[in-house]
Amino acid sequence: MKEADKILGKVVTGFAAICLTGALLTLPADAAPDIPQGFDSDGEKIFNRFDETPLAAMTGTDGKRTLDVYYELRQYPGSPPRVPHDVPLSFSGDTMKCLSCHGRGGYDVNQNAYAPVTPHPEYESCAQCHVPRRTEELFVETEWQSIEPPRLGRSEMGGSPPPIPHSLQIREDCIACHTGPAAVAEIRVEHGSRGNCRQCHVPMIATEPRKEFTRNN
Amino acid sequence: MKLNRRSFIKSAAAGSAIAAAGSIFPGISFAGWQKQEDASGNITWQKAPCRFCGTGCGVLVGMSGDRAVAVKGDPNCSVNKGLCCVKGFHSVQALYGKDRLKKAQVRKNGKMVEVPIAEALDVIADKIKETITKHGKDSVAMYGSGQWTIPDGYVASKLFKGCLGTNNVEANARLCMASAVTGFMTSFGIDEPMGCYEDIEHADVFVTWGNNMAEMHPVLFSRMLASRKRKRDVTIIDFATRTTRSSQASDKSILFKPNTDLAVANAICYEIIRNDWVNWDFVKKHTSFHKGKTNIGYGTEDHFSFKDKPEDISFEEYKTFLQDYTPEKVERISGVSAKDIKYLASLYGDPSKKVTSFWCMGMNQHVRGTWINNLVYNIHLLTGKISTPGNSPFSLTGQPSACGTVREVGTLTHKLPYGVVMKEGARKKAEKIWGLPAGSIDPKPTYHTVEMFRALDRGDIRFMWIQVTNPMITMPNLNRYRDGALKEDRFVVVSDVYPTPTTDVADVILPATMWVEQEGMYGNSERRTQHFDRIVPGPGDTMSDTWQIIEVARRLGFEKQFPWGEDEYIGKIWEEYRQFHDNPKHNMAPYEVLKARSGVQWPFVNGKETRWRFNTKHDPACKKGTDFDFYGKKDGKAWIWARPYEPAAESPDQEYNFWLNTGRVIEHWHTGSMTRRVPVLHNAVPEAYVELNPEDASDLGVVNGEKVKIISRRGSVTMKASINGRGVPPRGMVFVPFFDESYKINEVTLDAFCPISKQPDYKKCAVRLEKA
Ligand code: SF4
Repeated sequence: MKEADKILGKVVTGFAAICLTGALLTLPADAAPDIPQGFDSDGEKIFNRFDETPLAAMTGTDGKRTLDVYYELRQYPGSPPRVPHDVPLSFSGDTMKCLSCHGRGGYDVNQNAYAPVTPHPEYESCAQCHVPRRTEELFVETEWQSIEPPRLGRSEMGGSPPPIPHSLQIREDCIACHTGPAAVAEIRVEHGSRGNCRQCHVPMIATEPRKEFTRNN
Repeated sequence: MKLNRRSFIKSAAAGSAIAAAGSIFPGISFAGWQKQEDASGNITWQKAPCRFCGTGCGVLVGMSGDRAVAVKGDPNCSVNKGLCCVKGFHSVQALYGKDRLKKAQVRKNGKMVEVPIAEALDVIADKIKETITKHGKDSVAMYGSGQWTIPDGYVASKLFKGCLGTNNVEANARLCMASAVTGFMTSFGIDEPMGCYEDIEHADVFVTWGNNMAEMHPVLFSRMLASRKRKRDVTIIDFATRTTRSSQASDKSILFKPNTDLAVANAICYEIIRNDWVNWDFVKKHTSFHKGKTNIGYGTEDHFSFKDKPEDISFEEYKTFLQDYTPEKVERISGVSAKDIKYLASLYGDPSKKVTSFWCMGMNQHVRGTWINNLVYNIHLLTGKISTPGNSPFSLTGQPSACGTVREVGTLTHKLPYGVVMKEGARKKAEKIWGLPAGSIDPKPTYHTVEMFRALDRGDIRFMWIQVTNPMITMPNLNRYRDGALKEDRFVVVSDVYPTPTTDVADVILPATMWVEQEGMYGNSERRTQHFDRIVPGPGDTMSDTWQIIEVARRLGFEKQFPWGEDEYIGKIWEEYRQFHDNPKHNMAPYEVLKARSGVQWPFVNGKETRWRFNTKHDPACKKGTDFDFYGKKDGKAWIWARPYEPAAESPDQEYNFWLNTGRVIEHWHTGSMTRRVPVLHNAVPEAYVELNPEDASDLGVVNGEKVKIISRRGSVTMKASINGRGVPPRGMVFVPFFDESYKINEVTLDAFCPISKQPDYKKCAVRLEKA
């Protein structure tokens, strides 16, 4: 480990300890008064998350979580991931237990890993979509297939900011997934200190046919 | 039994080997799914309602080539606004289990043999003719489903009730919604909820009656939690017989003893009157008081019959009736403290609070299911908290089209798409629309579901066609009904998508298309009709259930009644069916509107959906000049019923000293025939278990995972104990989910039912336990 990384590591771990204890704070900041909620693909979320996430937590690197690890938990691009770690049988869906790690992230000694941050802490019933694996066996084999995940690095010109390849539905909060030590290594941004992500990155959904501009008369 | 499917489980090893390799060689991509070859990488999205529960979320099915490859929540659907639950998100995977039924099979010399589907359809038509000739028209029966599409149920009713003239049409919704229907009919004279899901955003208080919404109606539960988070002063009370996920998320959990919800509901009304929280203006203008028979029985014997005798009573008589239900007396019956009863009453009684009650199977699968529905309506009627945004007694439905196909189309023995067979007007209307001679429809109802399976056992019914349901898992007191189906000289046809314990007893198996492999409509809990196109081609010889019935009808000589072409039949059927609902209390949206939108609520009048019925501001069917009009009843009033507390059919005693309660888990839909073939869902809950109270477990000397034998007077099942698991029953109760065909808990349950609705009670019977 390089010296600078070590220092950063300590900072991040220190931060993690703090946020693990402070996790009971309500996550999404209150909307500014009189501004309706939920427009622009919940664009407000990015600003709130940016505001409340210390820079150190956005810049930490870990590198353990790769795209392969990421997709191994999914059934198609965009499906809700399974819970990869042990969940006690007695777990009965208590949101706070999930959010204490996945609300703001941080290092978990038991997993020896940084916890990925949920992009949608406003949904409280986590086990509604995320379930653990109690067995590896299948009831019956499946003939399920899905498409390749979108390729990375689809800049339109050399070095231009790549467009957002996925739909923003339930995944509007860029900072949650693309920054910090638990971010997937291949898609982590190096410039977490710039908080207005969609200033440069615009959606161009990789799985939708590309429509070129044509005049309609 | 006739087929053995255990062998499939062995082949599962292959799947897990791949998963294991992924962890051995990190960096090699064994991503969670197999990659589609030659895919363009583009996905097109098409709307559909979710295949599974009665919430009726809108989903978008992602297509690549001719395969469904992804799902997302439909942001245009007001039910779920883009969110799903784990079943919905993985629903399309249910199409791709390796053992899909793709060919028809017919039993020849005792063995099932694959045949061309046309041959199987010939066999069915011949058998129907032969059986009717030998044993009369009422010896053939159709048993369908709340997962039938609306056209499926409609053509089944038209063929059996209209063309064949037998009222032997029932559907599994009898097992889940019948008490809700009779509750509505007796209190309001017209079926289905007055409110809509938008009540969730308006309500200040939610009381869930015997209803684990966090697992059973997860997206609505999330909507409720989101509203609480946003508004902050929202209270959720979980009123139940067992501690669940929903209890955890609620502000307060109150446990009652099985069946005593009747007493508690009456005690709440007692308190509302004692404190004068009655909305007198509403009560005087819009309600009337009634009583019916008492000590009404449990239906455990063959040929049981019951007819209620409603009598008018005065408010004073009602008040006197309630004297038996003071909070202190009811505390002794129900185990709910008088303090908690008073608290519940104060929430309902507070004029500044909007209250929504939710319920589903806890109140419907109940030997007094109709009564408890009536009693919860009483609470809302006495306080006038009904038919206005946020004030809503809300009967949730279990299946995706229990409302659409069973309640609206009327696929129950006594029903027609409009009205009941006993009414001449209703019969005439159906005969006219169906192009049949007068007198074609029999004015006498025949068998409700339990009695229909009894009739099959007795031999009164000789031919049964079962579609989209799995009764050889779900019938209570299952041993009797399975033995009955296997008797000599019984002919069982099963249309399904996978092998199940029901196809195991079949003489003919028809391979059916599933969900978005066919065009159709569902109808959800909030009167929302949801159209879906044929999005994915069905595999092999699969055929829609509707088309199977049409093919058989034509073989029976009813071409005139079933004239449509294969590319147009759903639209034509819809427009024919819509004629039955040609009035502002029930108008359905035209086909083109359904196709365009993510669900449309009925009554659909002058191009507008009706969100709150009986409320003149929202419902154009109401008489002008009044604020509410309960037009279902002749007197224009909603009925408040004096209904007593009566105990369950079978309660624990010295010998059988535990309650057995059964139900579902979020991961699995009903009998698991679809969801167990979805890897994520099966991996999460691979087998059923018995939940025990920790103290009972320690008395019995079992720890988590050890086997327990559950024994009733009817059968026994041995399965693993779950202690402090997903749910925790109180002392003296065990709970078993019913999805797992390896542990058929319905061999243990009792076939007692509500005498009014004929819906069985799956939540209460007596068992004893042994350490196995
Ligand atoms: S809540 Fe019900 S309708 Fe909605 S996604 Fe889940 S199973 Fe489907």
